[in-house]
Amino acid sequence: MMKALGSSRLSRRRFLTASASLGIGTIAAPYVARADDPTLRITGWGGKWGEIMKAEIGPAFESEFKCKLQTDSAFPYLPKLQASSRSAPIYDVLHTNSNEQWAAAEMGLVEPKIDPKLVPNLADVYPYAVSDKIVGVSIFTSAIGLGMRTDKGYGNVTSWKELWDTKYNGMRGGYVIPVNSLGQAFLMMCGTLFGKGQTDLDAAYTALEKLKPIKIVDFTGAMEKMLLSGEVGLCVIHDSGIYRYDGQNQPTDFVAPSEGVLSLEQVLTITPGSKMKELANAYVNYMLRPEVQKRLAETVWYSPANRRVKLDAKYDAKLLTTPEKVSKLIQVDWKWYNERKDEIDQRVNRIFRA
Amino acid sequence: MQTTASPSLTAVQQAASARTPGPIRPYGRYLYLALNIAILIFLLAPIAIVVVFALNPTPFIQFPPVGVSLRWFEKFFASRDFMHALGFSLEVAVLTTLSATVLGASAALALARGNLPGTRLIVATMLSPLMLPAILTGLALFQTYVLLDVGRPTWGLVAGHTLVTLPYVVRTTLAVLHNFDTRLEEAAQNLGASPVRTFFEVTLPLIKPGVLAGAIFAFIVSFDQFPVSLFLVSPGNETLPVTLFNYLKFDLDGTIGAASVVSIVLAFVVVIGLDRTVGLRSYVKL
Repeated sequence: MMKALGSSRLSRRRFLTASASLGIGTIAAPYVARADDPTLRITGWGGKWGEIMKAEIGPAFESEFKCKLQTDSAFPYLPKLQASSRSAPIYDVLHTNSNEQWAAAEMGLVEPKIDPKLVPNLADVYPYAVSDKIVGVSIFTSAIGLGMRTDKGYGNVTSWKELWDTKYNGMRGGYVIPVNSLGQAFLMMCGTLFGKGQTDLDAAYTALEKLKPIKIVDFTGAMEKMLLSGEVGLCVIHDSGIYRYDGQNQPTDFVAPSEGVLSLEQVLTITPGSKMKELANAYVNYMLRPEVQKRLAETVWYSPANRRVKLDAKYDAKLLTTPEKVSKLIQVDWKWYNERKDEIDQRVNRIFRA
Repeated sequence: MQTTASPSLTAVQQAASARTPGPIRPYGRYLYLALNIAILIFLLAPIAIVVVFALNPTPFIQFPPVGVSLRWFEKFFASRDFMHALGFSLEVAVLTTLSATVLGASAALALARGNLPGTRLIVATMLSPLMLPAILTGLALFQTYVLLDVGRPTWGLVAGHTLVTLPYVVRTTLAVLHNFDTRLEEAAQNLGASPVRTFFEVTLPLIKPGVLAGAIFAFIVSFDQFPVSLFLVSPGNETLPVTLFNYLKFDLDGTIGAASVVSIVLAFVVVIGLDRTVGLRSYVKL
């Protein structure tokens, strides 16, 4: 027993020494590496967006403005911002979808509007990007419409209402509405399609009941894969979720319904308590620059908000790059929606639980 | 069965007959075997699905798989984000294991030996992090760090993980201490060993199974920890589960499966490593 004890003691000591060194290194590293440059704390997406931001767009901004960009890409952003002090918020710039921005604005966590004097590129954006349906500024938008399989012989789909066609029973896809912006926007569209408008919830609930059987998912990425695998044949999806597979010979296509497409805006806002206001405004302005917009748009297939952006022909043909195309965008009244979110969540949960 | 035996049988034959399985026994054994196989399938099916997903070349879950490819493993290992997250998760898990093991084992010793008032209440308090939804623990810690104006440091993440892994070490060490023969310690001290020497040469080796079991739990729980990490990771220092979650919101391809397979293999490697360095056989005695 003593022999075994002796040998294990030696190993343990080595193990503990190595672990302690590793631990001290891990804990100390951020402090050692901390630069003197001012740090702008922002949020941002993962995936392709995160890749290009980290590789090109972010470093170029850091280099030009002699600062450090600290991007939090770990959800959820809003509870973190909520939990942090108003006078010393955890983020300087909040990048998220419009529905969350409205919730943040209602709580006073973000400034409702961006000052055009401090962000000159604001003068060049399409009206939707700074409309009364938007808090801050929308730097990009996707179009929410229908995604379909082209190899199932469905024929030409032109209207949202075709999603209710019984031939798609078991093959249509939607979202868990309480947690997905596309699902929430679609619910409002149901009110427009079958009732008096976006706010006609009764008509929307009735329409949702009739949509069953439907396969529902939490994330848009999951819907993309279900469409690619053929598990769904027709679904609610945003254009970038289809176009990103361009050139891969996938039997899928995006349909912009005749009634219009819903906008899924990428919105930037500045927090009132930010100590980096000047840099925050510079960042918003930078993200609206035509060359930055073009690079990002052609990487992630988002439609740029700056109307001066000239995309390559392939992207220009599909994205919303002209006033005529942009006019088909339907913006959701997220302020109205958020005020009723709990009630809506309960009701749609009942509908789909059944 | 014995009551129905022929009266002509000798006592030995009767005894042998009693040991021989009757017509029901093989049936029972098959049922037992089938039940065990069913449990194994239930436990291993998710892993099998993950492996199939990781090796399938299509960018979506497809059954039956259309082939075997290592493309998702290549993508995983080529990704700086994933590699950083994997390394960071391992660092945090090791640090958490050390802190939870030292604190948990010490606490268990104090609770078992200290004659403390309200021991049951203290034990219940120490186990309470298991009862609180971990996401709330994460949020509460995040808010505390914000109030203390310390940001989201790595030590804060380790502290959060320690909080949720501590109960495992306390519980498993207490279980061993429950049957501990204190006369062994008294004998060592009667033979002239100091309290420190007695602890390291008598107490610790004897409670090692419980401590080690807790340490293994602590490592695995920390390495896979998601809800607490969600709020406590800092930009650029995300753990693997958080990175996977962020990834799957945008790209639900086989990389997730490859990352999961790597995690599973790593967990095995760590357990085997602990076995080689500290001795897992004593743990198995539990």
